[in-house]
Amino acid sequence: MIRRRLVYPSGASRRIMLTVGVCLLAAACRSRSAVSSTVYTPAHATVGEAVRGFLNLRPTATQPIPFPHKIHIEKQAMCTDCHETVERGPIAGIPSVKTCMICHSQIATDRPLIKEVTGYSDKGIEIPWQRVYGFTREAHVRFNHAPHVRASVDCSTCHGDVGQMTVAERKVNHTMGFCVNCHRQKNAPNDCMTCHF
Amino acid sequence: MERRDFIKLTAITGTSAALTACGNPEHQVIRFVPDEDIVPGIAEWKPSVCPVCSAGCGLTVRIMDADFETMRNGQAGVVAIKAAKKLEGQPTHPINQGALCARGQAAIQLTYHPDRVTQPMKRSGTRGAADFKPVSWDEAIAELAGKLDGLSDRKALAYITRPRRSRRLEVATEFLTRFGAPAPIGFELFGNEVLRKANAASFGREQLPTYDLSSAMFVVGFGADFLGTWNSPVAQTIGYGQMRQGRAGMRGKFIQIEPRMSLTGANADEWIYARAGTEGVVALGIAHLLAPNNSGLAGFAPDAVEKVTGVAARKIERLAREIDEMKPALAIVGGPTLAYTNGSFHARAVNTLNAVLAGSGHASGIGFTPGADAVRPLRPSADLKNLSAQVLLLDDANPIYGTPKGWGVRDAIAKVPYIASFSSFIDDTSAHADLILPDHTFLEGWTDSLPESGSMLAVASAAGPVMKPLYQTRSTPDVLIEVAAKLKTPIAMPWKTYDEAIKAGFDKIGPTAWDDVAKQGGHWTAPGAERRSASDGARPPSPQSPVPSLQFVPPQFDGDVAAYPYYFQPYPSQAFNDGSTAHLPWLQEMPDPMTSAMWSSWVEINPQAAEKLGIKKGDVVEITSSQGSLRAPAVLSPGIGPDMVAMPVGQGHETFTRYASKRGANPVTILAPLTDTETGALAWAATRVKIARVGDADGSLIMFAGELREEPHHHHTR
Repeated sequence: MIRRRLVYPSGASRRIMLTVGVCLLAAACRSRSAVSSTVYTPAHATVGEAVRGFLNLRPTATQPIPFPHKIHIEKQAMCTDCHETVERGPIAGIPSVKTCMICHSQIATDRPLIKEVTGYSDKGIEIPWQRVYGFTREAHVRFNHAPHVRASVDCSTCHGDVGQMTVAERKVNHTMGFCVNCHRQKNAPNDCMTCHF
Repeated sequence: MERRDFIKLTAITGTSAALTACGNPEHQVIRFVPDEDIVPGIAEWKPSVCPVCSAGCGLTVRIMDADFETMRNGQAGVVAIKAAKKLEGQPTHPINQGALCARGQAAIQLTYHPDRVTQPMKRSGTRGAADFKPVSWDEAIAELAGKLDGLSDRKALAYITRPRRSRRLEVATEFLTRFGAPAPIGFELFGNEVLRKANAASFGREQLPTYDLSSAMFVVGFGADFLGTWNSPVAQTIGYGQMRQGRAGMRGKFIQIEPRMSLTGANADEWIYARAGTEGVVALGIAHLLAPNNSGLAGFAPDAVEKVTGVAARKIERLAREIDEMKPALAIVGGPTLAYTNGSFHARAVNTLNAVLAGSGHASGIGFTPGADAVRPLRPSADLKNLSAQVLLLDDANPIYGTPKGWGVRDAIAKVPYIASFSSFIDDTSAHADLILPDHTFLEGWTDSLPESGSMLAVASAAGPVMKPLYQTRSTPDVLIEVAAKLKTPIAMPWKTYDEAIKAGFDKIGPTAWDDVAKQGGHWTAPGAERRSASDGARPPSPQSPVPSLQFVPPQFDGDVAAYPYYFQPYPSQAFNDGSTAHLPWLQEMPDPMTSAMWSSWVEINPQAAEKLGIKKGDVVEITSSQGSLRAPAVLSPGIGPDMVAMPVGQGHETFTRYASKRGANPVTILAPLTDTETGALAWAATRVKIARVGDADGSLIMFAGELREEPHHHHTR
């Protein structure tokens, strides 16, 4: 009887646990995007984060300026023109406002959104873009763009057809299954230490 | 607790934890546009020079992107910078050959220290209270130039610095020379003036030697902690490793003779206790037995040596036999052995032993790094005794901490009307400054070193900044050059900037020398030159020539035996050396290799003596000399003579950042102002003390190998 109660909670306990879960989910939806406490811990900083992490729930990024990827790609810009460290390093890089101003100190300077960009640049402040993709620290995953670019994996394989989007949206779910499937198909290394190091 | 309650509690805490995660979204942090082009996640390695001691080891610094919290236009935010993250030894550097000691590793904390002086400051409170208010660089430089202009006698400008041979120091010397002031005082608590002077007499080189440990078969050390803190410890440790394990089928033997077991002594095959102040007599006892013509050493027959030193005659005979069998042999002297009033005698005695070894078919293991004439001489530390100046400049020196009371440095400094310090940290002496002109750290500005020993190649190390300055600091040589230009009658300095001065030095070495700076952090003469420069070393007498006559000079100690029965040996700590790195928390946290103590001061006492005095480990004892007293916890150590107590130097700063201020006790405060009778250098091992137990363990002794640090009360219950 005792063992049974430990394994299967009674009806009352189940209701309580359900309440707990709902509370946590509610909290999860309201709270900030990525992570994290300043103290290093291998665990999640809060229970809320742990629940969100487990259920792979992430808030949608809201960008300060609705950056139109589509327009830029139509004007023959390449992904790597702005995400310029993607071929050289682990991080593709959210471009600095300096990168914007390379063109927009000349082009379309009268448009209201470009004026906003110029405003940031004049103040010496970066546009507070939010990350759309990326792993939480607690996921213990390290990703390096450069070898993927070298292996001619198209950007859209992992990021969707951003060239058709205005602001980037998370169209591909970066679960472990997603990574492993592709690595299997392409005969890329699949041992744990490839990503979890 | 009922299970139901537990679940309820989980619900409450869980929800509140989740709620605290809300608010303060990350996108509200202001990011400033960076000044540099950064590839995030990719490390670069750039050469630099270790600033911690005079050894001048080469560094390679890992640089990566980092977020730095800063203020711009009154607004707080973060900016991405290229930041130094790790220091390693430079693999091709001839001195450290890729290795780096713990103090060098911790040097990265100089840059990121939370108590760094971040901008020029002017005294706003009383002297010594360390109350400062920020000023601009223009104001600060104008003020210093004004004070220098106001000097009626230009000789009344004094400059105290660490005697670390470099072009940096040359800029200061040049400034002072052209201004009409005397040369800088090179202040170093654990200076090596005694050995330099003795080497000038024995080998014609007023310089610290470089030892060829790697090809020695027998090494006998006299007090020199050459694996820990003395001279060029990384280079010597590499050579020592070669001697012990680097040659197939051969293992060199090493014997250390000293009254207190140093880290180096702990590595020896045999540690021999000799009475304090008599170590050199053992050296002459060995020389007496080995020299073919030993009439000059008539007084040093084994029995006579035993009487003076306490080392058994049979042991000396065995040592001499072993040395004779295991060629080549080498003797090393340094540290406390040269810090008695008869320090010069010991240096001469060991030099004589080396000459005898070299003369009796042993290869000379002593050489001298070429290029010693690259810098001009400084005034010795002892000149601080007569310090009287109208304006005092402090450059990386802390003489109030590191001089005995009897030298009167504190009073002398209090009397100086105007003091400016280039220090990056407010230390015991800089707290008395009227103006602080903070220097860049070695990672943020140009840096250079011209090591005196550690390699048989002529080494000139230099490196440019590896990262941008974090704060409103300026390179001290550049400030001096600017002050020179701002004087009423400007001084024309030969260089416009510090890096120009460094380049001028390299251009003198050779046409390609400067190119090596960017590549490898310095220039060293090609290995082909090695043999020739090695012959600059010991010039041994021919086997037939008699050994010069030597007489034992008995040591004098302050305090008579009846009142002060114990010799007192302060020694450079493995973590802090002379105390100049006590503000680095990694080093505070580093357990002492001999005792495992950390974050604390302690007194080493022989267990026999401790039993006699009723002292247990951790008990608070009071040590009293004729100069004063201090309290610290006791550590019982069998590696110290029963007539001696020892204490590491480094703690006990009045002011030295949050990590070192008022932590532990400073043994220098109770040292008698005795000096080596020949050179006038401070004899820091020539004080006698008495000890008394004054209380139970108070928890101030923190041991790595011991009680849990979180539970200091365990000290009391044990």
